[in-house]
Amino acid sequence: MSRAARTLALGALLLFIALPLVQSVVLSFTATLPHDGVEPGSFTLLNYRHIFETPALVASIGNSFLYVSLNVALCLAAGLPAAYAFSRYRFTGDRHMLFFILAFRVTPPVVLSLPIFILFAQLGLVNSPVGIALVHCVFNLPIAIWILESFISAVPREFDETAFLDGQSLPGFFVTRLIPAIAPGIGVTMFFCFIFSWVEVVFARILTVTGGKPITMAINALFSFRTDIGLVMAMTVFSLLPGVLMIVFVRRHIARGFVIRT
Amino acid sequence: MQIAMTPLNNRAWLLLLPAVTIMGLVAVLPLLTVLNYSFHDIFTLESRYWIGLEWYEEIITSGRFWASLARSTLFSALVLSIQVPLGIAVALLLRSTRHPTLYLMALALPLVVPWNMIPGMWLSLVGPQGLIGPSLIAAGFDYKFTTVHTWALLLTMDTWHWLGLVVILSYAGLSAIPAPYYQAAEIDGASRAAIFRHIELPKIAGALAIVLLLRFVDSFMIYTEAFRINAGGPQGATTFLSLDLGEDINAYSYGSAAARAMTYFLIVITVVWAFVQTTRRRPA
Repeated sequence: MSRAARTLALGALLLFIALPLVQSVVLSFTATLPHDGVEPGSFTLLNYRHIFETPALVASIGNSFLYVSLNVALCLAAGLPAAYAFSRYRFTGDRHMLFFILAFRVTPPVVLSLPIFILFAQLGLVNSPVGIALVHCVFNLPIAIWILESFISAVPREFDETAFLDGQSLPGFFVTRLIPAIAPGIGVTMFFCFIFSWVEVVFARILTVTGGKPITMAINALFSFRTDIGLVMAMTVFSLLPGVLMIVFVRRHIARGFVIRT
Repeated sequence: MQIAMTPLNNRAWLLLLPAVTIMGLVAVLPLLTVLNYSFHDIFTLESRYWIGLEWYEEIITSGRFWASLARSTLFSALVLSIQVPLGIAVALLLRSTRHPTLYLMALALPLVVPWNMIPGMWLSLVGPQGLIGPSLIAAGFDYKFTTVHTWALLLTMDTWHWLGLVVILSYAGLSAIPAPYYQAAEIDGASRAAIFRHIELPKIAGALAIVLLLRFVDSFMIYTEAFRINAGGPQGATTFLSLDLGEDINAYSYGSAAARAMTYFLIVITVVWAFVQTTRRRPA
């Protein structure tokens, strides 16, 4: 492909990706409803100020962070030993178990939403960040196991054996040797778990009936007869920031460190 | 005889215990509950009656189900045939740029947008006050009432949202190809097409399998985005399977909703299983 055609293609691609984002940023700085002293259509910072003046919106940011962090912690804590087992041991039913766990990544959330609500209502986990953090494991734990397994398998087995010969216990080995050795894998896992939990809507909606609403639901609640689109977009732009930070954080490993086993 | 490099060790199950416990609670138990509900007529959760397979019979004999299934299948087919080739092409293109990381970061941006915000962004963009809306409307674009336009908008939006995933995974696969492979091909005078077919495609096959599965399931069960764009319209032309299910849940028809959910689950699992079987037999 010629140099000019390549530049043109990449330019078109960037434009395509940027357009909806630029549209949202522009609207977030535009007064879309008449407010005191600001003409609709003019530039304003009011939308962002309104975020911080609306307690429900501020609370939703905290709620989202809480359950997403909990979910990432859970997926790492449960996913790491499981990934290690799949990578290092042969055991009865191992391949079936791996397919079985991955099958839940492809189970549509709508399928499970109703019984999960009923079950969690009985356990007292509705309106609680713990509930959402647990439920998001349905799709994030399989992803975590899959990514971590491929990173652990890239570490030579001798690495483990040396540690055990030194008299290290399995938990000790995990914390002091394995985790530092697969640090990029931990980062990539955190990235995917974080974003999939952050953007999820179906479970987050049914599990927050009266309280604990995440950003996504707080934005939904802004839609009314007279929706302040500017405020909606300001909140949307705001909701992108953690994800953008995560992208910057894992940029070196997002493609290069991502070993895919066939 | 088994000459396994890996020790056979059933204590490994202990390491799986935390993961299995969580999955049991949030996945297996709810799935069994759905299965149980699907055999019942449910008025309230306390008063329900065993009706066997009646819901399933009603679903598979209804035209509504088959029409939605056809729409969802077509949508998934279009999504895969657009996004997979395009994603591979972009990944190949990025291999020859100087700053691939910057492009990958840009492509990852749509992945971090909350799903229920994506339709709003696109509707603003193509609306009468949007950046490209006025010119589209002048050209006769009308997503509210023209079926083809609603489909085009949904496909464009979905491609925007997910192209990054296809590119990132394909790019990761391509990065794993050692440089000597390319040098050898060059010495042999292999064509660009031959290089792709015999060197690049086998290397990204594993990543592509994952991409195909994830994109199939998520497009087949598209809900939030499709609903917000046109609520299944015009005249039901974008009423996909999950929108049907949403209707049942909203109408508190739990038995029917459960049977519908189980039917979808079986379809998805069958496709995934068949896919895994066919790709496993072929050596990569």
